[in-house]
Amino acid sequence: MVVDDSKISRMMISSMLAKTNFEVCAMAENAAHAIDLYAKTRPDVVTMDMNLPDADGIECSRRIHAMDSRCKIVMISAMKDAKLIMHGRLAGISSFLQKPVSTNELLDTLMILCQEHVGVNAVYRDSYVSTYAKVLQEGLQQIAGLESELQVQEENSGPLSVNGVAVIIGVVGEPRGRVAFYMDEETMRGFARAVLQQESVTDAEAQAAVEESGNIIAGHGISRINDVIKDREMRLTPPGIISGVDIKLSNPELIAFNIKAKTSIGDIFMNVGFARSV
Amino acid sequence: MDVKLVNPFIDAFTAVLPQMGFPTPERTGMGVKDKHIESLGVSVLVGFTKEIRGNVVYNMDEETAKFIASTMMMGMPIASFDEMAQSAISEMSNMLTANAATNLAALGREVDISTPSLTVGVGAQIRISAGQFLTVSMDLGGHVVEIDIAVE
Repeated sequence: MVVDDSKISRMMISSMLAKTNFEVCAMAENAAHAIDLYAKTRPDVVTMDMNLPDADGIECSRRIHAMDSRCKIVMISAMKDAKLIMHGRLAGISSFLQKPVSTNELLDTLMILCQEHVGVNAVYRDSYVSTYAKVLQEGLQQIAGLESELQVQEENSGPLSVNGVAVIIGVVGEPRGRVAFYMDEETMRGFARAVLQQESVTDAEAQAAVEESGNIIAGHGISRINDVIKDREMRLTPPGIISGVDIKLSNPELIAFNIKAKTSIGDIFMNVGFARSV
Repeated sequence: MDVKLVNPFIDAFTAVLPQMGFPTPERTGMGVKDKHIESLGVSVLVGFTKEIRGNVVYNMDEETAKFIASTMMMGMPIASFDEMAQSAISEMSNMLTANAATNLAALGREVDISTPSLTVGVGAQIRISAGQFLTVSMDLGGHVVEIDIAVE
């Protein structure tokens, strides 16, 4: 259900959702209408404007929350500050977005709020893993000047085979997990030469280049996710570096996705895993 | 790094394992190392962050890992270090680190922990710190588990 006093805003949100699997089941231009329509249609998720003619979006959310404590409400407002978030949260609002909202931002937020309906794997894939894939591609370009072609493999439950180096960075917050950035030894050398723009590199330099790049890319991924989903507060732990030949890296407790970046110097991988149990 | 920060990890180890049916662990060694950890065969890396940031590694050979997994699964014999056994070791590392996090919070150092990453393979090198890290050997019924801790 879309709640907004402006017809243009309602149309903008519904046209964004028209291309997705979300279906707009109701639209309301004021609080009274929103409460009435909520009771009738019981939508999976509500987008709520702050300015309504008869009550503000927080008050309207409070009344919907009183009717259904499991309601999922996203506030979309022109202003967004700590006070609004605090009051909004008390009124039962789950997420806060600032106008103008991009389609991706809206979709990511709605997907996460509706994860029990769409399935947790779809949420991970569409919201988190796709963000990491984008950040990996951009990062390889910016850090090493490498163009890459991406391939995302889903739910790769088998162990990762590392013949070279893997940078493991833990993720805390919600969802918990870890990111592994890894490549084989030859690719590591090529990668380090590209990063450092030198003809030859030592083993230590090569490892350090991979470590630092993995850290930067994972950091960008997390901040981009945190930008979209404001209340998750995901953070990274310091990197751990594993190197060796024929090392198996596994965690049966994770739902993992493998992102492969094919580059001119070899394949570079980023494996993003999330805890099955929170 | 502050040596006192190692105690929450040792305490977690000695408190949690007997509850899971293990003999009381004993500390048999403690020291400072630099560079990297040589994996004994099975190593689990768990990161933490918030008021202090760092990593802990539980390092053991495969026989020890199988002994631990078997004990956790009520004495079920374990022929190979398969997915079930790996899952048990991951879970143990998660429990130990979560318990250490509780102990750290009691010292006023709150931390959040990441999911464990399990590495299998003799000769793997693991680096958790640019400088030094602490290493503690724990004896668990004749089996040795090395705990390595680095704090930024």
